[in-house]
Amino acid sequence: MKELARLAIDTASARGAGYADARLIQIREEDLHFKNGEPAGVERSSSTGLGVRVLVDGAWGFAATDDLSRSGVERCADLAVSIGRASARLLQEPVRLAPEPPHQAVWTSPCRIDPFSVSLQAKLDLLSRVDEGLRSVKGVRNAECFLRFLREHQWFVSTEGSDIEQTFTRSGGGMIATAVRDGDIQRRSFPASEGGHLLSGWEHIESTPWVETAPRVAEEAVALLRADQCPAGTFDVVLSGSQLALQIHESVGHPTELDRVLGMEANYAGTSFLTLEKQGALQFGSPIVNLVADATLPGGLASFGFDDEGVEAQRWPLVENGRFVAYLTSRELAHRVGEKRSRGCSRADGWHRIPMIRMVNLGLMPGRGTLEELLSDTDHGIYMETNRSWSIDQLRYNFQFKTEIAWEIRRGKRIRMLKNPTYQGITTQFWNSCDAICGESEWVPWSVVNCGKGQPGQVAAMTHGTAPARFRVVRVGAGYEG
Amino acid sequence: MTLEEAKAVLDRVLSSAGTEETEAILGGGTSALTRFANNEITQNVSERRYLLSVRVQRGKRTGRATGNDISPTGIERLVRDAAEAAAVQPEIADLPPLPGPQTYREVDAFDPATADLSPEAREAEAARAVARCREAGLAGAGIYETGQGTIGEYGEIDALAIANSRGLFAYHRGSQATFRVSALAGTAGGWAARESHRAADIDGGALAARAVEKALRARDPVAWEPGAYTVVLEPAAVADMLQEMAWISFGALLVQEGRSFLAGKLGQRVMGENVTIRDDPYHPLHRSAPFDAEGIPTRPVTIVENGIAKSPVYDRRTAAKEGKESTGHALPVPNTLGPIARNLVLEGGAETLDGLIAGVDRGLLVTRVWYTNVVDPGTVTITGMTRDGLFAIEQGRVTRAVRNFRFNQSVVQLLGRVEAMSAPERVAGVVCPAIRASGFHMSSVTEF
Repeated sequence: MKELARLAIDTASARGAGYADARLIQIREEDLHFKNGEPAGVERSSSTGLGVRVLVDGAWGFAATDDLSRSGVERCADLAVSIGRASARLLQEPVRLAPEPPHQAVWTSPCRIDPFSVSLQAKLDLLSRVDEGLRSVKGVRNAECFLRFLREHQWFVSTEGSDIEQTFTRSGGGMIATAVRDGDIQRRSFPASEGGHLLSGWEHIESTPWVETAPRVAEEAVALLRADQCPAGTFDVVLSGSQLALQIHESVGHPTELDRVLGMEANYAGTSFLTLEKQGALQFGSPIVNLVADATLPGGLASFGFDDEGVEAQRWPLVENGRFVAYLTSRELAHRVGEKRSRGCSRADGWHRIPMIRMVNLGLMPGRGTLEELLSDTDHGIYMETNRSWSIDQLRYNFQFKTEIAWEIRRGKRIRMLKNPTYQGITTQFWNSCDAICGESEWVPWSVVNCGKGQPGQVAAMTHGTAPARFRVVRVGAGYEG
Repeated sequence: MTLEEAKAVLDRVLSSAGTEETEAILGGGTSALTRFANNEITQNVSERRYLLSVRVQRGKRTGRATGNDISPTGIERLVRDAAEAAAVQPEIADLPPLPGPQTYREVDAFDPATADLSPEAREAEAARAVARCREAGLAGAGIYETGQGTIGEYGEIDALAIANSRGLFAYHRGSQATFRVSALAGTAGGWAARESHRAADIDGGALAARAVEKALRARDPVAWEPGAYTVVLEPAAVADMLQEMAWISFGALLVQEGRSFLAGKLGQRVMGENVTIRDDPYHPLHRSAPFDAEGIPTRPVTIVENGIAKSPVYDRRTAAKEGKESTGHALPVPNTLGPIARNLVLEGGAETLDGLIAGVDRGLLVTRVWYTNVVDPGTVTITGMTRDGLFAIEQGRVTRAVRNFRFNQSVVQLLGRVEAMSAPERVAGVVCPAIRASGFHMSSVTEF
């Protein structure tokens, strides 16, 4: 297979590319859904193809094909060069790639039990038992559960001499119970709203208490129909790790993407309030807030040996003691913040899409204590758990989230369940109001598997490790004030 | 892929499957996108991608396998995997048998010049837009995307052709051209877009001129207080909200499960008398495929007529539950979502945009909205941000820029308070007008 990738970059060079890289990728997936006692989509899929990226006269061209005949690959490389040549006609400054030593390497994500070696029957049996657990609770309208497995095998070669083979295995699953009464639609999910996924084998599925948890998930969905509406006002808010993971994703991850900061996403996802003069100067959060980008996190969905332009995986702080210190960068843009090497954040959605800056794993470093200790220390507040809705402006200031469930806290105790909790804020005010973060024992690697960005759109997955944390004087309930 | 080429692939699947009850869906095509930002091309890509999905049905059991190896060996593997998946699965009690041959309406949606537009032609159109932005001292950013086939915005692939072992064969070929441009003056911006099946309809320079005009007017915004305002929503803002509503409301399964605001309301007034919403792939501005993922012909469906809830859209499973016929809105079988409406039309009115603005004493002109998400599905309350041009309307005139708001608004209630509408246009895959409506709830102000 690797020979075809080489053929692509050799052809591109011969046609005039100053730089070329190619990624040949085989993807295999299994996607199994169960709903209300029946299979609701059991699909095995596979895809193989090649993407070739070139610089011609300092301008980018990219073409991808599933025609892997020699002539198909040559046509693809030729098209990439033609596209690069057209790009060069509307170029202000030639692209400069930050240096990266050529790597010859093989990297494989940890996988003890190959999920594709586990029979379909075993997977369907597990789903059937989860489904039964969800439907064992009276009042559940919809019981849904799923398992997903992915293996990506890729070969990367470049005209600078890199030759990298990587294999990624991802396993995950989830469940959702929905209860409905007179237009009131409540749901609970586990482990989080999109499930729980890791770069791991079947062992991740085996170590998660799917069947045991299903009745509790269903009971909470039904109980929410009878719960009080979350009050509106300003409250101290404690966020569960699964909710805080998405808060990190939206209000820290995206605004630190350097391509956004420099206006390259302006027509779609937007730009960022974290403009260049704020690096090293802005007090992004309170002094206990430490956020670390980490492409080496074991099991992290955005962990790798090398990114999709051959840069070695790294770990570095974005926010240190509350101060904003660094961006997510690529080889093309590292020099724009005075850095000599890319941080290794270029990733692509499969073989058919071009690498762009994507979040690697991004975590909030733990503080101390347990969730119960944090709640005990809260005089009057609201504890919110599991994301249900999310939205943030295109500069990443103003956000609003809704969670599936909440509890009112009075003098350290949960006094009542609340439905429809929403909270709003402005990013830096919110993170500066963080006064407590739970400790290592509560720190969980939560997954995001549907992060969309770019034109054409690309989907990426990443992990946000975090423990629950408390934020003071937050606006709650605005989502239901309309 | 031509009809003959697609048919040859699907015939090979059916022949490889022998006597199995088999359905095969072929999708994909070619898509090219030139992207610019800061007045230069920053990304320029092209992809050729096809996907073949084979479903084997044995009584009430079914299994699917999907792949992009459409060689004879690859096809044999897909058939084998689908059959193996079907064999081990529990039964689906109401799984319908495969349908027989169907008759489809012709949809003229393919323009060869658009399908094969060169990188140079895309660059030239982008350059015209950039020139307008540069002249105004603004940063231009946008895309020009052209192609043929059924590759979606996020790489998802719809059916180009379907065949099954009961003799059904369906094929639809379309081309696409989409141009979107933002003009930026610092954190202020303007935006314009056009989509068509013909590249000849695209004028990047004219679109950029509209975006520039908005951006220049959007500078130095003042902060207005949150609250309920009369708004003029341009078509891009209306389209976004309609799509959110359709996704969580217009499918028959959602109604049957009580998860749609239409549940228990069919035949009742749910919106204003001036509101009629249809799903119609044959609308001249849509020109979409005339069949669904089961190969059933798609019928135009009136969902809301003069404010009265009329009907959701159906696939065969949901239709059978009510003793009805499918309206041809199925996703690949089986699935958790049920049928969906994807060719929305909100019928418009006779007003111009200026006329809509003239009818506002104190309110807001919203160019488009961003990052909408559902807050409450039962009332179709959505949240989101205004973007790329929010303007004050005072005594019937646009007077100045206003800082962007976050809103929380029930779309159903909004469509109960529509005062007037313009003629519809196509934006973001929806055919809809600009509307003027009262009581739009702006929840909080952002920083720009």
